[in-house]
Amino acid sequence: MAQIETQAHKQLPPTKKRSSLSEKAKEAISGYLYISPFFILFAIFGLFPILFSFYLGFQKWNGFGEMEYVGFQNFKWILTDPLFWKSLTNTLFMWILGTLPQLLIGIILAYALNSAIIKAKSFFRVSIFMPYVTSTVAVAIVFGIMFNNQDFGLFNIIVGLFGIDPISWGTTEWGVKVAISTMVFWRWVGYNTIIYLAGLQGIPNELYEASTIDGATIRQKIQYITIPMLRPIIILTVFTSTIGALQLFTEPLIFIGRTYREEGITVVLYLYREAFTNLAFGPASAAAIILFVIIIIISSINVFVANRIGR
Amino acid sequence: MKKWLMLVVFSVLVFALVACSDDSGASGEDDTSTETETETDAGSDDGGEAEEAEPVELDMWVFGSTGYDKLIEEYQTENPHVTITLNEGEMADIHNNLFTSLSASSGAPDIAMIEVSEVARFLNASDSFHNLNDYGAGDVAGNFLDWKWQQAQSVDGSFQVGLPTDIGPTTMFYRTDVIEAAGLPTDPAELAAEIDTWDAYYEAAKTIKAETGKPIADAPELVFNAIRDQQPQQYFNEDDELIIEDTVKEAYDFTTMMIGEDLIGQNALWTPEWGSAMAEGTYATMPGAPGWMLGVVKGNAPDAGGNWSLTNIPEGAGNWGGSFLTVPAESEHPQAAYDFIAWLTAPEQQLKSFNDMGLFPSAPEVYESEEFLATTDEYFSGAPTAEILAEAAKSVVPVYMGVNYATVNAELTTALTNVAVEGADPQEEWDAAVERIEQQLERQ
Amino acid sequence: MSEKKQPKKISLAKVFVYALLTIASVLSIFPLYWMFVMATNANDAINRVPPAFIPGGELVTNFTNVINTIDFFGAIWNTLIVSSVITIGVLFLCSLAGFAFAKFEFKGRNILFVAILVTMMIPPQLGLIPQYIIITKLDWLNDLKAIIVPGFIDAFGIFWMRQYISSNVPDELVDAAKIDGCTNFRVYWNIAIPVIIPAFATLAIIKFMYVWNDFLWPLVVLREESSHTIQVALRGLIDNYVRDNGMILSGTFWATVPLIIVFLLLNRLFIASLTEGAVKS
Repeated sequence: MAQIETQAHKQLPPTKKRSSLSEKAKEAISGYLYISPFFILFAIFGLFPILFSFYLGFQKWNGFGEMEYVGFQNFKWILTDPLFWKSLTNTLFMWILGTLPQLLIGIILAYALNSAIIKAKSFFRVSIFMPYVTSTVAVAIVFGIMFNNQDFGLFNIIVGLFGIDPISWGTTEWGVKVAISTMVFWRWVGYNTIIYLAGLQGIPNELYEASTIDGATIRQKIQYITIPMLRPIIILTVFTSTIGALQLFTEPLIFIGRTYREEGITVVLYLYREAFTNLAFGPASAAAIILFVIIIIISSINVFVANRIGR
Repeated sequence: MKKWLMLVVFSVLVFALVACSDDSGASGEDDTSTETETETDAGSDDGGEAEEAEPVELDMWVFGSTGYDKLIEEYQTENPHVTITLNEGEMADIHNNLFTSLSASSGAPDIAMIEVSEVARFLNASDSFHNLNDYGAGDVAGNFLDWKWQQAQSVDGSFQVGLPTDIGPTTMFYRTDVIEAAGLPTDPAELAAEIDTWDAYYEAAKTIKAETGKPIADAPELVFNAIRDQQPQQYFNEDDELIIEDTVKEAYDFTTMMIGEDLIGQNALWTPEWGSAMAEGTYATMPGAPGWMLGVVKGNAPDAGGNWSLTNIPEGAGNWGGSFLTVPAESEHPQAAYDFIAWLTAPEQQLKSFNDMGLFPSAPEVYESEEFLATTDEYFSGAPTAEILAEAAKSVVPVYMGVNYATVNAELTTALTNVAVEGADPQEEWDAAVERIEQQLERQ
Repeated sequence: MSEKKQPKKISLAKVFVYALLTIASVLSIFPLYWMFVMATNANDAINRVPPAFIPGGELVTNFTNVINTIDFFGAIWNTLIVSSVITIGVLFLCSLAGFAFAKFEFKGRNILFVAILVTMMIPPQLGLIPQYIIITKLDWLNDLKAIIVPGFIDAFGIFWMRQYISSNVPDELVDAAKIDGCTNFRVYWNIAIPVIIPAFATLAIIKFMYVWNDFLWPLVVLREESSHTIQVALRGLIDNYVRDNGMILSGTFWATVPLIIVFLLLNRLFIASLTEGAVKS
């Protein structure tokens, strides 16, 4: 509806609003009203658990019975535990291996799906989204078979084609990381593709048509139309996938299971083990708080960088 | 409770409004801290009157295939005033939910099943359970195997957290075709006589390797577990001190030595390749296999009937698996709950569970039953399964497992895997595992 | 993107794009196919080396086992309710909030928006126990409300809607509507919603799938069989020792089929919204 006027104004700088004061007040009230459900629900179901975690970070507690205040002891433990640092570097490596490529491939696939020449769009769109639909149980079994340590495992046959000896995916430093990253990549590419696709759909065709008349190449179209128009969505995906990657939990749990092997342990897996296997809720909460701080720092850097894309 | 909710909603609204008109978002930080204290309300009713015909509803959580639904029907017919709701789930889920409920002091059932590897942890939170000794558990203690009974008991014996259901006495499964090819006897009794010690097992391994080129076992964990489970003390002593150097290091050394000589394969438990190896006969024995493993082998290798058999494990059996039924403190009908589980775990019902679902009984009286002893298994070359398992059950020694059993076990498994798969140095892996364990224990 | 003037170039681009999408589709669809294969085979065929790659004959047996073990259809029904209610609620609440953040000016807007983003950064795993305590205080154990109401909290959805609205709903249109005397809600309802239907479809797909497949939280608060969602019910197929993967994957596969149907329906909505836009322009 009313697409044409939309596009005509799109490239103009946003005009300053010049509405009356009472109009402004109305707008503010509406604004608060519209966003209040989130904050109310969050305060009930989200805030208390968070405060509880922060509180626990300074206690000794095994899940039952009394808590005991221990000051910064838990933080000291976590920060001096080599395994915590190992879990942090693991998480970062898997972020680089599994998450960053996912965004790039996601954009490419979305761009391909959005191009006018494609027939059977629905089929491709459904197929590419399939991994996100697949439940973790199936993923666990399928990937367990594919990343078999033996010579006949699917991925060992593949690396064999390149003359590489069979890799022990379940136990080696890089084998574990590559396997988990592959799972992450596979599960989330389709998800990001769908998000980018919606973003691409929002870009009016007229812009491309106009630029074609002006003789723009495909690369120019991508550089000057697609990327700038898609920037809000790119920022969104970079931000959310970074958080998702730093909170990586399900895939490594599926892959390395409850032995929590140090080659594949992530920070959240580490704190989960502290809490629910070792019943050390204090150190677990301390680890959660430290992770929270790290996520804030990395997300800020990320958004800062993403903001410059296409500028 | 409603008031509490209203208060929260109201304060949230205020918070939202205040935070909006201002620019800060971090007010109201301390208002929830008082809620965090767990209230333990010891709802131990007097147990006398539950006998009356007043209607009682009991909620029960179990995992695995127990077949208890049929027994519940039977019990309800005999005791019309009792209604039991059975909820079945996956093992880890049931334990996690129980843990969450006890931790929050709310939502636990009247009867909860707990697996043997988790029982020490819950025993540690004995405030959260009814002491079954208060409801007559002392009278039935004699019905059960001592070692099994003690696993659900506090160190001083005063607190009984659960009544035993099934057990997992370990035996040794073997491939008759591989054993035969190696020139060893395939009859259970003869083979047990031939391989009666771990030294003999080692010698047999060399023979099998020489004759068939196959390892004697495929999963390092199974060999380690089999020897570990024969030790009267394993990971912790009764003061919860880590004692693995003195107890299971020998088992570890033996296993890694066999790995080093290429006598044991490198499959990890529960992996597809471990399952498929059962069908293919790529190894000779599966030491430390309990009764429930019969079903695992059949499921993974339905066409290998007659190629498998079982016999006694060298140097005496251990136990792997089995459960208890407990009554969480929240239950308002502890006597009724106890009466039901006492009935459910009585020898007659255990025999029914065995016949129905193969749950191996923890009540030795059942082992006297003709019907029970006559059980043989065609798949396992007609071996008298019940008799062999019963014999194993009697030789199990009681072990104190400790709260942190799972932590230690995960690290030792990692060490074994590294030795088997990566060819890592056994001593270095052991030291690294010990260091990781100590680091984790220190924090509790 | 290319116009129909240079046939040579088109065909090359076409081949490339088709090849890319075909490879991606095959890789993506393979696990689902394999799930179906395993759902139609006996357990030993799955653990065999190499495992089965073509469908077997156990389709009916495996699914009969599923139905005999768990209340499959009851759980599907519960899941449909939960997923639909949450999806509809999230679409409404998030688009409303996203619209406010994108188009309204009010004090503290940016800080509140950042606050929403910060809530995404807290690892949720530890919140399990306190969250459970809240649910028991509300007396919502074994009640679908315990899933639905917290399910309305969706920071990602707000973020998504805000980003989409800010780049796709022009300020001028909003202002013009206001000058015409539209109330704020009408601006949202009549101006913003028609433009953001692709965003709705996307969020609906993502949210619906997420709720359908979620099991950590439902597992904690839905203990009675009558309240189970499908993923919780499927856990009941996993025996502690004897795993029948054929049966487990049969349940898993058939639990995925309704999802695919929902996806196709939403996809249609997605496409309809686009063709509508195309016709208008």
